[in-house]
Amino acid sequence: MATASYPMDGVAGQVKRPALAEYFTWSIDHKIIGVQYIVTSLFFFIIAGALAMLIRWELMTPEITVMADGSQYNTLFSIHGTMMIFTWIVPFWAGLGNYLIPLMLGAKDMAFPWLNAFAFWLLPPSGFLLILGFFIGPAEAGWTSYPPLSTIYSPDGQTLWALSIHLVGLSSILGAINFIVTIKNMRPPSMGWFQMPLFAWATLATSIIVVLATPFLAGALTLLLLDRVAGTTFFDATSGGDVLLWQNIFWFYSHPAVYIMILPGFGVLSEVLAIHSRKPIFGYRMIALSSMAIAIVGFTVWAHHMFTSLQPELRIPFMITSMIIAVPTGIKIFGWLGTIWGGRIRLNSANLFSLGFLSLFVIGGISGVMLAAVPVNIHMHDTYFVVSHFHFVLYGGSVFAIYSALYHWWPKITGRMLDERLGKIHFVTTYIGFLGTFMPQHIVGMQGMPRRVAVYDPQFQDLNVLISLFSFLLGISTFFLLYNMVVSTVAGRVAGANPWRALTLEWQTTSPPPAYNFAGEPVPFEDPYGYGTDASKAYLDAMESRFGPSPGAEEERRPPSGALPEPQPAGD
Amino acid sequence: MDLGKGSNKSSANSPAVIGLIAVITVLLGVGGLVIAQLTPVLFPDQASAEANQIDQLFKVMLGIGGSIFLLVQGVLIYSIIRYRKRQGDNTDGPTVHGNVTLEVVWTAIPAVVVLGLVIYSYQVWVDIQEPKEDELVVHVEARRFGWTFLYEDERLTAGNGNGNENSNATRFPAPDLHVYAGQPVRLVMETEDVIHSFWVPEMRIKQDLLPGRTTEMRITPQLVDGRASDEYPLRYRVVCTELCGSGHGAMFTYVYLHEDEESYMQWVDSSVESVLNPPEDPVLNGMRIMASGVYGCQSCHALQDSREGMTLSWDAVTGPSLQGIADRASTRVSGQPAEEYLYESIYDPGAYIVPGYGNIMNQYQFVNPDAAHYLPKPDAEAITAYLCTVSDEFTPEELAENPLCDFDNLLSYSEMYTMDGMN
Repeated sequence: MATASYPMDGVAGQVKRPALAEYFTWSIDHKIIGVQYIVTSLFFFIIAGALAMLIRWELMTPEITVMADGSQYNTLFSIHGTMMIFTWIVPFWAGLGNYLIPLMLGAKDMAFPWLNAFAFWLLPPSGFLLILGFFIGPAEAGWTSYPPLSTIYSPDGQTLWALSIHLVGLSSILGAINFIVTIKNMRPPSMGWFQMPLFAWATLATSIIVVLATPFLAGALTLLLLDRVAGTTFFDATSGGDVLLWQNIFWFYSHPAVYIMILPGFGVLSEVLAIHSRKPIFGYRMIALSSMAIAIVGFTVWAHHMFTSLQPELRIPFMITSMIIAVPTGIKIFGWLGTIWGGRIRLNSANLFSLGFLSLFVIGGISGVMLAAVPVNIHMHDTYFVVSHFHFVLYGGSVFAIYSALYHWWPKITGRMLDERLGKIHFVTTYIGFLGTFMPQHIVGMQGMPRRVAVYDPQFQDLNVLISLFSFLLGISTFFLLYNMVVSTVAGRVAGANPWRALTLEWQTTSPPPAYNFAGEPVPFEDPYGYGTDASKAYLDAMESRFGPSPGAEEERRPPSGALPEPQPAGD
Repeated sequence: MDLGKGSNKSSANSPAVIGLIAVITVLLGVGGLVIAQLTPVLFPDQASAEANQIDQLFKVMLGIGGSIFLLVQGVLIYSIIRYRKRQGDNTDGPTVHGNVTLEVVWTAIPAVVVLGLVIYSYQVWVDIQEPKEDELVVHVEARRFGWTFLYEDERLTAGNGNGNENSNATRFPAPDLHVYAGQPVRLVMETEDVIHSFWVPEMRIKQDLLPGRTTEMRITPQLVDGRASDEYPLRYRVVCTELCGSGHGAMFTYVYLHEDEESYMQWVDSSVESVLNPPEDPVLNGMRIMASGVYGCQSCHALQDSREGMTLSWDAVTGPSLQGIADRASTRVSGQPAEEYLYESIYDPGAYIVPGYGNIMNQYQFVNPDAAHYLPKPDAEAITAYLCTVSDEFTPEELAENPLCDFDNLLSYSEMYTMDGMN
């Protein structure tokens, strides 16, 4: 695992990155593993995105025109959804957490480095199994795989699908245990629970959900596999089984999984918005504890995915809990608005994606409350309104947060800056492409178009063509990011240790950090978001004199003394 | 809806600030009201009483959501413009860690709002669920990839000539749902294979059909605003909204909303009449059976035909088209005559698979009347006889002269098929 990088005190720009070959080997360095996760998940993101493009291409006509038949179309969205969730968003957060958590806590590595590597290496075979399905008849029962469609009526690829999710679930559990132990035990003595960066809080809450919920997914998958290959009848109603059993266990995992995908994004927002608005996070405790509240209440809402199949009298309690969970989410949104209010908001790519998250996620939140109401839900259920809702929270939410995280921590991970001009083009095309793709889907769904159909009422064609055209823009927008990443890696501007002048510990070392992260014991600043105080300025200046100025922060460099502009009026 | 406003300037209690908050609150409320007016544009026709209630609930939520939307986007855009970092300004923002009053406010107000919405939604849900007096009961059967509707009628008794000895004998089948304004309907639904879901967007109600269970839902159809009397019966799509396999998107049929009972009863009478007095001619009887939708042929096959007042107008794409099937039936399997091929294809659809299609048709049985896919022998014979006359190349007169099938052989093949007990 030895990396070729060593701290060079006071000399920025001379830190070596690990050799490329190291990323293709079994490494137990959390930074290598983090990058392995991130790159692998980006690979699957591109494949799953290409599938989405095919979906939208097919939907430009109300009959089946591009695909051979309905089955082939069904495989597109089944694998698209599965890959996006299990091999893109979930592992990306595992990767980012892996890279950042030890750094943010001033630790040398994760608590269990070997387990960490093992968890990662379960991911490539998992994605490989999904792709392998395309050669033997892939899963076509949707990412939810409701039996009996997924048991009696599906090709062998469905078995591979279940094995694949089993692997990625195991990976997820092992990673989460590692995070919990690391966060609990490896903080520096001066960092109490409430001095932790909020990304660590979010990762902790996420990991608790993973550890408690993912075993249920494993249980459901095991029953499904047994039904498929061993002749059991857990979900076969003709032999005493029950199809609702699957739905209950599956959603008992898969609703909390929504928070597994979004809570780390919340954590990213708390970091990015505070740092790039140069203000403390507004209501630190409320934001930290609301993550925990979401983690707990998130376990009591699963059956709102079953409002058209659940016994009618059982729907009410789940409506109540599903609406209540909007409250802690609202606390966060208002807290972030309070954070940027009165700040010095840098409109760089990282912050633009976080601000974009705020504006899109609130729409997904509002449509979520609408869907929680049983009477509205029974109209909207399984329509494009739902497709739109969960893309607003998972794309407008999670993926925007991922983009924000990439722009924000890329300089730390690679030692190079991403190009800001390309980043802004990426943001504008993504934002417009996203709105054009998913806003009209609300209307198509309410008007009467179900999800998961290749054949639809011709009256919806015009809107679908519009949606498809915007989705192609959304697809193209991704390449601005990929191109930017490649160019930056090869010839990007050198970042330096702390181009953003951020207070959290991951920035108080070289970029990329040396083996074992820090030379000596790092001392965190008393308040991870204490911007605007003399003490924080002194801390950052001391760090800058130690690691040298950050060339990446060219436009952020302080003007010569005496040229300070009038400070803005202070808040209350 | 003044959340997030107070953190801006000092002296939060000054009259100017309170006045500003009041103005913004009113503006947000008005904005929400304006957005809520979009509701009727977003939804399709209101063809059921439930639609009125559900749309109203949605409208309230859209209004509240609209206010929150405007508040958040407003604060966001204002902040980005007002507090963006100016060129050369490298100072930090004010060190504000929070404001307890504000945090309590923006926790409490949303909590109260969602509790109000819970109570309102609960009332609407209870209303919709309420059993109505004199409900018209319609049995719904779904299978991959089609629907059959069964109506009770006291004129029908067991053994009344439709050849069906099973429990459906007192019901007549229909490929479409027929209802009329003001008559509450209770759908009693069962699926023969996987999960399906019944949805009529214009009626807003949806319910899954679950293997091993019988599920129910209630609809009270109503006259649709702005529709003239001569537009009735209104026709809307019934769509399947739970993924059920390759033909899921094509799994739709129609609901006919009659204006009044009279128009509805005309349809009932003609349907009952055709069951009670089926045509003597097996060819026409075969066509009647297919048109009734009892076996769901229309769900997957395409066929346009019109005879003796009966019309088939199918355009499904999941299975191979039946247009002109008699012309090519004898060419499918080498050495197998047309009538044998057609007959076998009903009971053993996998024996020959038309290229480009999957082996997904139901396996019908003629032995057990309680089987999920029961199709008695006389019906199969009649359907085969009819399909033998579905020709594009020959006129009915030419077919009468030179039939494409040997009907005597059909009966003996049918007999032999039964003896074999092949299923």
